[in-house]
Amino acid sequence: MPMIPFPFDYYRPATLQEAVALFGELDAGGKRPLYYNGGTEILTLGRMREVHTEAVIDVKRIPECRMLGRHAGMFVWGASLTLSEVHDAGLFPLLGKTGAGVADRTSRNKITLGGNICSQFIYKEAVLPLLVTDSLVRIVGPTGDRVAPIGQLFDQTLRLGGGDLLVQAMTATGYAELPYVTIKRRKSSAIDYPLVTIAAIRTQEGMRFAFSGLCAFPFRSLEMEDILNNRELPIAQRIQLASAALPGPILNDIKGSALYRKHVWSVAMTEAMEALEKGASIGR
Amino acid sequence: MAPGESGGSALAEIGRSVPKKESFYKVTGTARYTGDRTEARYLHASLKISPHAHARILGIDVARARALPGVRAIVTGADCDVLTGEEIRDRPIVARDRVRYHGEVVAVVVADTETQARQAVDLIEVRYEPLPVVQSPTEAMRPGAPILHERLGEYEKGPGVVPVPGTNIASIIYVRLGDMTQGWALSETIVENAISFKPSDHAAMETRSAIAEILPDGRIHVVSSTQAPFAVKMYMAKYFGTEAGQVEVEAPLVGGAYGGKAAIQLELIAYLASRAAGGRPVKAMYTRLQDMITAPCHIGLEAIVRLGSTKEGKIVAAHLTYRFDGGAYDDKSSDVARAAAGDCTGPYAFEHLHCECLTVYTNHPYASAFRGYGHAELTFAIERAIDALAEELQIDPWTLRMINIARPGDLAPTRDLLNESNLGDLPACMERMKALAGWDDWKVRQVDDFRIRAKGISCFWKNSSIDPNASSGAIVSFNVDGSMNLDTGVVELGTGTRTVLAQILAERMRMRTERIHVRSVVDTAISPEHWKTVASRGVFMAGRAVLHAADDAIRQLKAIAACVLRADPEDLELGDEEVFVRGDPHVRIEVKKICYGYMFPNGNTIGGQIIGRGAYTQRRMNPMNPFTGEGTPGPEWNVGAHSVEVELDTRDCTYRIVKAISVNDAGRVMNRMGALGQIKGAMSMGLSFANRETFLFDNEARVQNPTLRDYSIFRYGENPEYVVEFVERPCLDGPYGARALGEHGLIGMPAALASALSRASGVRLNRLPLFPERIWRARMGYADDSVSL
Repeated sequence: MPMIPFPFDYYRPATLQEAVALFGELDAGGKRPLYYNGGTEILTLGRMREVHTEAVIDVKRIPECRMLGRHAGMFVWGASLTLSEVHDAGLFPLLGKTGAGVADRTSRNKITLGGNICSQFIYKEAVLPLLVTDSLVRIVGPTGDRVAPIGQLFDQTLRLGGGDLLVQAMTATGYAELPYVTIKRRKSSAIDYPLVTIAAIRTQEGMRFAFSGLCAFPFRSLEMEDILNNRELPIAQRIQLASAALPGPILNDIKGSALYRKHVWSVAMTEAMEALEKGASIGR
Repeated sequence: MAPGESGGSALAEIGRSVPKKESFYKVTGTARYTGDRTEARYLHASLKISPHAHARILGIDVARARALPGVRAIVTGADCDVLTGEEIRDRPIVARDRVRYHGEVVAVVVADTETQARQAVDLIEVRYEPLPVVQSPTEAMRPGAPILHERLGEYEKGPGVVPVPGTNIASIIYVRLGDMTQGWALSETIVENAISFKPSDHAAMETRSAIAEILPDGRIHVVSSTQAPFAVKMYMAKYFGTEAGQVEVEAPLVGGAYGGKAAIQLELIAYLASRAAGGRPVKAMYTRLQDMITAPCHIGLEAIVRLGSTKEGKIVAAHLTYRFDGGAYDDKSSDVARAAAGDCTGPYAFEHLHCECLTVYTNHPYASAFRGYGHAELTFAIERAIDALAEELQIDPWTLRMINIARPGDLAPTRDLLNESNLGDLPACMERMKALAGWDDWKVRQVDDFRIRAKGISCFWKNSSIDPNASSGAIVSFNVDGSMNLDTGVVELGTGTRTVLAQILAERMRMRTERIHVRSVVDTAISPEHWKTVASRGVFMAGRAVLHAADDAIRQLKAIAACVLRADPEDLELGDEEVFVRGDPHVRIEVKKICYGYMFPNGNTIGGQIIGRGAYTQRRMNPMNPFTGEGTPGPEWNVGAHSVEVELDTRDCTYRIVKAISVNDAGRVMNRMGALGQIKGAMSMGLSFANRETFLFDNEARVQNPTLRDYSIFRYGENPEYVVEFVERPCLDGPYGARALGEHGLIGMPAALASALSRASGVRLNRLPLFPERIWRARMGYADDSVSL
């Protein structure tokens, strides 16, 4: 059975410049090109005809996209690293473990960091640690090569221009020393999309939180963080108040009703905040 | 003594953990299934399925699809007016004028390649006029409900099927014992408990596939991932008006079936596709999505159980209402319902009984057999009610069950008299389960601030009801080295039945199972018939046939040996591949010297190759009377007792299944590791069903989760600790006393899980699956009507 029921061309550029140039040409030629990393979404959504392309540009051999390590006080995460590689590197457990909640190990051996962040699905859980650590993202595209804080570019999705390619994310290494929480709650299975995923970290200034599964998009809300850091109020009350400041309606679908999601989120938040206020970490 | 036993001598092969004969192929990835067959001459079929659960088909435009290169034919409902169905002939092979469930086939494209066929399918345009849908048996029976089959009264139906024309009731069956008025009068406590669950999937690893070809002389050749090649042969001949001998069906290894591959569906589509393409071989494979919703599924149920009991816990009256959600077409669902009706009380003897068991049409994917064949379903209804009664009476649930368990001398609901052979020893299973579960130590305990551990129990029985004239045959032959070949009509589904059959042959021949070769493909043209590889009948029926065949071969061996050894055949014994004189064992001859006849030193030869044959039919079977339930639909009630331990987090009602216990009366354990695997696999399936498996329907009855992405099944590592033990009280009809095992680890699992979770959460949980959200809603008193349930 052909998994992808439409024909497409395959390109494997050696450099970022080649990749971007190819994208421009193919796009102009009406090929609806896609940058291709792990390919899991092209495969699964292509099969269901929810993705269509006539050309894929395989970027996962481009050295910049494969970088993994420390540089100038920053962790550098190549967008083509698989979630398994990020996890197994053990450099930054908040990112590694949050990524390890996505799909199953076999899939994570294919799913890449960049692919997950730019996913067509609404969860994109690997972005959560980047949001709470004010990580930087490096983008190349027709307008050149640029670096920007992720908070500026990520609004429900990563706001990329046509032909833009996410190359790397960079996180200050100091964040790896801080107490963190990563919690994922699912409907019933050990492997599923989240009812809610929480990634949180406690800095000198206070606790920071990012969520997936709660609304129809992943987010970090400074307004909610202000409420959640108000130590004059008991935790339960802070959570209650924060829930009134959500940036969108709570998701209500076959995985869980909005009512139950909110409850599960509150329970998980209680656990997360109690740990962080004690300076403890939770990583699951 | 059970069949096969000769008395005295210890059994060498029976009970031994012989690895499954096909294991080597499976672990090396070389096992070949139907879908693995590829030939350059094959054409490929792809299916256009309905996105609606109920709609009139206004028109199908195939022009654009037909024009694609490689497209050979397109089949629509207009091409065939045959109605199919084993119990009621209510189903067109390809929908005609109307679709009745989401996923129903509306057109089939035949093309040179799969890709071409799939591309053409996308270009077929179907115009529908959506119709109101029926979502549950209760809805289906409301006055004014849309009627799915207006011509129900005109359909051809099997014996014992009682449809109610003008309604959505496909079949109705009653079971009555005693006098209900008297029963209620004797009742000091009455409880009523309702349960429900919706249809779900079998989720076998191998998706269904079929290849059909019409040969120049009119013969039909089919290869299929089927549990029932002989039924495919019979029904295809019937549906298409050809002689049975003209149809030849091959069943290679099947990659998990669980009842779902006993239904005949894709074979018929492949046949129509081949016919449309001039008889060329056409291969049809379901995608996972089609395998989930287009192919028959696991039945749903709504049930109300009312039990009347004395203060001491003797249940004297039972009023049972079972309404099975059979989906859009009947297929086997009315027979599943009949099997459930036959054992409707669970393993208890109720003196006064009234059971009304309905099979109801809805706009859901249609149901067929599912491992347990109605028994996990009825058991959930009965066992939840027993737990409710125990609570009401404040009697220990284990004790309440023991008080009411049917014993030898009691009547089954079918009015069969139970005895020590036809009824497994449930009290012994219950005692052992109780000890293993530590039931008397504690039933609920607080672990920490949030976590509660609790145990639940259930027990069950199951009779394997099949057609009264169903038969099974076996043929054995020899190789020149004295090793043997065994052929039966049992399809190897992964249950290891063919290995156990080889053990039975080896035991009888007093040789090693390793010296028995078994075929992994059933071919109806040459294999002896086995009715269907269903109902845990493989070892029981084919095993008896194998014993007959072995005896036939032994008789022939002794006849030749008697000449050679100049001894009376009655003085001869067989052992270690030699025939010898009982009283003087040094007078002997090797089997390999006589199994192809014996050649004297001068070249003279007597006898010829030895072929043993055997057949078996169950004794004194007769169908149930649909108005009273009286009959003998199956030969033996097999039993077991289960326990499940859970740890519930009361904050969000998530839970962990810590341990699951199953104690079954195996009669005789034939292959210890195999039996453990069968029971544990079934337990896993039962827990997965109870914990998470269901189709989720939207308001238009469309399946919301027709992929394994969203239809979750137990994965390795999510399983609890499994504890499995056996009680061995022989069934005197089973080979070496063996009782059926294949389905029996599953049957009580949903009830035991619900029992444990109800105890942990403090609320009675009666709907499956037991999603944490459902438990949370029950605890909070919220309606159980969320999109996710």
